[in-house]
This record gives sequence, C-alpha cells and structure tokens, in this order.
Amino acid sequence: MKDKFHDELARMRAGVLGMGFFAEQMLSDAMRALQENDTGLAREVKERKVRLSGQNDTLEEDAYRLIALYQPVARDMREIACALKIISSAERIGRYGKDTAGVVLSLGETRPDDLVNALSLPHMAKLVLSMIDDALHAYETGDLGLIAHHHGRDDVVDKLRHTIFREGITYMMEDPRTITRCTNYLMVARYLERCADHSCKIAEKVHYLVTGERIEIR
Amino acid sequence: MSPDTIIATDRLNLWYGDTRALVDVSMEIPDRKVTALIGPSGCGKSTLIRCFNRMNDILPGCRIEGKVMYHGENIYDNGSDPVSLRRRIGMVFQKPNPFPKSIYENVAYGPRVHGIRDRRTLDSIVEESLRRAALWDEVRDRLSRSALSLSGGQQQRLCIARTLAVEPEVILMDEPCSALDPIATAKVEGLIDELKKQYCVIIVTHNMQQAARVSDYTGFMYLGRLIEFGGTTQIFESPRDELTENYITGRFG
Repeated sequence: MKDKFHDELARMRAGVLGMGFFAEQMLSDAMRALQENDTGLAREVKERKVRLSGQNDTLEEDAYRLIALYQPVARDMREIACALKIISSAERIGRYGKDTAGVVLSLGETRPDDLVNALSLPHMAKLVLSMIDDALHAYETGDLGLIAHHHGRDDVVDKLRHTIFREGITYMMEDPRTITRCTNYLMVARYLERCADHSCKIAEKVHYLVTGERIEIR
Repeated sequence: MSPDTIIATDRLNLWYGDTRALVDVSMEIPDRKVTALIGPSGCGKSTLIRCFNRMNDILPGCRIEGKVMYHGENIYDNGSDPVSLRRRIGMVFQKPNPFPKSIYENVAYGPRVHGIRDRRTLDSIVEESLRRAALWDEVRDRLSRSALSLSGGQQQRLCIARTLAVEPEVILMDEPCSALDPIATAKVEGLIDELKKQYCVIIVTHNMQQAARVSDYTGFMYLGRLIEFGGTTQIFESPRDELTENYITGRFG
C-alpha cells in the first residue's frame, strides 16, 4: 500500500515540477515577445493558459485524493501541503506571463520597442526568472543553497521595480505620447515583482518541505 | 524534571531472560495529558507501559534495572507496594475483559476490594465512574445485567469505568481500540480526550492516526529504545529523527 502511495507522491511531485517550469516558460516567452515585439509568440503564450489551469486542477485533485486515501504525516504530509502551495504560486506566475503577453497584443505590432530596454525590463525579467528557476530546482533536488539568498534577490527586484517606476514617470513627462506604452511597461514591472514574490513563496515551501521548519522570506 | 511530570524513567532497562526488551529508556510523562507510545511490534512499547504499574514483575525471568519515578519515588524500591500502586495507576487492556458479573458489580468490584461497603457510596461511585466513561446513559436501566451482554465498545468503556472507580491518577491503555469497530473507537477516543482533564493517560497504539488524534505527546520506540519523544504535532509534522520519519510515513515497520 505504502509503496503505491510513495509512487503516487513521486508522480505528483514530478507533475508539480513540470507545471512550475511550464509557468516559468510562459513568463520567459512573454518577456521575449515583449522585447522582440513578437505578437505571434504572445498569442501562443496566452493560449497556454488553458493547459496551465488544467495542470493546476489535476494536481490539486491528486493532492486531495492522496490526503483522503492515505492520511499522510511528516514528510509525506509536507510534500502534499507544499505541492498545493507551489502549484498556486506557479499558476500565478504563468498568469502573469499571460498578462504580459496581453500587453504585447494590446500595444500592437507597430509600437517602437526602445522603452522596454531603456526601462531595464529584460534585466529585471532575467533576475526574476533565475529566482523562479532556482526555487524550482531546489524543489527538485532539495538543495537549499539555491534559495539561500532569495531574500536579498527579492530586495534587488523590489528596488528595481521602484527605479523603473520613477524612470517611467520621467519618460511620460518628457513625452506624453509614451504614456500608454509606459503605463503598460510599469504594469509588466509590477507583474515581474509579483513573480519574484511567488518564487520566494515557493522557496519558503521548499525550505519547509526539506527541514520541517517554516520561514518567511521577506 | 518538569513540575508537570508525573512519571519519569531513568535509564530503564528490562530483560526477559537473555533478551533485552528495554534499553536505557529515559523519559518524562506529564500529568493531565495524553502520551502515546508508538513503534513496530516488539519495539518494547507494551513492555514499557507495563513497567509503570509493575505488571512485568510477575513474569518469570524478567529483570529490571534503572528507575521509574512516580511522584518522585522509585516504584521499584524495596518497600514500594505494587497493589496500592496499581490502584493509583490503572490499566485498560487490548481486549475488553469485564468480569462475568453484572455491570454494577464490575464497577463496584475495585472499591469493594479497597474496603468500601456502604451501598449508597458504592451506588454513587458506580454512577460517577460510568458517567466519566461515557457509558451511563446506555446502561443506567440495566445495571444488573451481565457485563458480557454489552457490545465490545461498551465492554471496553465498562473496563475504563472499572479503572476509574478506584480513583487512579494515571490510566495506562494498551491498544484499547484494536478490538473495536470505528464507531466504538471514536467513542473511546472522545472519552480519552475527556479523561485527560483529570487523569494522566498513557496509550500504546499501533494505529498512528489514533496516536496523532488523541495524544498531546508521542514517543516513538524501536528495538527497545525510545528514539524520539516530543509534542505530537511536532512528531507527526516534522520528526527530528530519520527512523521516526521512516516509521510514521510507512517506509518500514
């Protein structure tokens, strides 16, 4: 009985990891679409949302079923509790990817894309994506070293968002024609900052999973 | 030692002939809490619980070293009286074992042995004990019927009432629900939760979910050793010892 349970648990973990990387890819591709003004890619990212939700529902059902059937304790219980939390963070990350793709589509194909780079959005995205990637790899391997500096990295991202906000305001004051674009880019900066927070949430859960100790990364 | 401790063992060792059944067990059991002992078969949990009211003394070839302190006195000292000890530390066994007597007589038996003869006093002890064992409402109108006419769950609660009748401080329960169906088990578990308001309850169980549900503290035993002892939530959420972790998650045992 228990071996079957642990097989199912391993399958669920693989599913959670798969969903995490899927969401990360959505965000990554959306940022590329933004930078390269690739509406085709943006459209494709938007469509992936259906699959993301499906993964979320399936994994959530799996988790409830395992709890009901096996009444897990200790690490097994933590495994399921973490899976539930991680998939909800992953879903948020994927949805921010979808929202970013929406920005690309709403601005249209003819927009000048210089401001994306000027506002350091690609740099911010790189930082955030590496945080998500490290949190997911920590979940995969149990290597807490990968998430040891999430607090400091999140600080950097927060400050960057603030800087981008201020810079955006100056661009808009300088040239009101940039207002629509800039407000959308500031929104994207906000999405990225939220994604970094979700990577911290994932990191917190990985820490709990591995050590049994709850921490807060803030 | 914590002021809440009612029973403490200090490097307790026990041999059945050449077999060492307990190895250097040191633990402190708090009063008015439920402490569960878990572990695979043969780990020594029943042996340990039976040390607390000297039930192992009568077994031939059984040798005990170390101390079991009850209210600060070693119950294995010369001069300690096992009979009065067993009145203060009562025990409920795996299979309900009522006497083949009436329900009333089962409960009144202990107080009678301890010299209570007055009928009204006995009546009130019987009622109070049956109430505390959550059985009164089911048997109040048939106290003179044979205890053996009761269901298994009722018989077990009768045995608990019989234990309570002599006003113990500590109640030892050795797998009290393993012969009961889920409904009777739920009743006994609810009762255990009530009992801890007045008594120290120590329960040995094979059912880990039961230990998790009913106890405040849990001790995990393996091969005669107490591997880990701690708050039940901690043991079942994040045990410190890998052996405990592997046992409660069903990876061995």
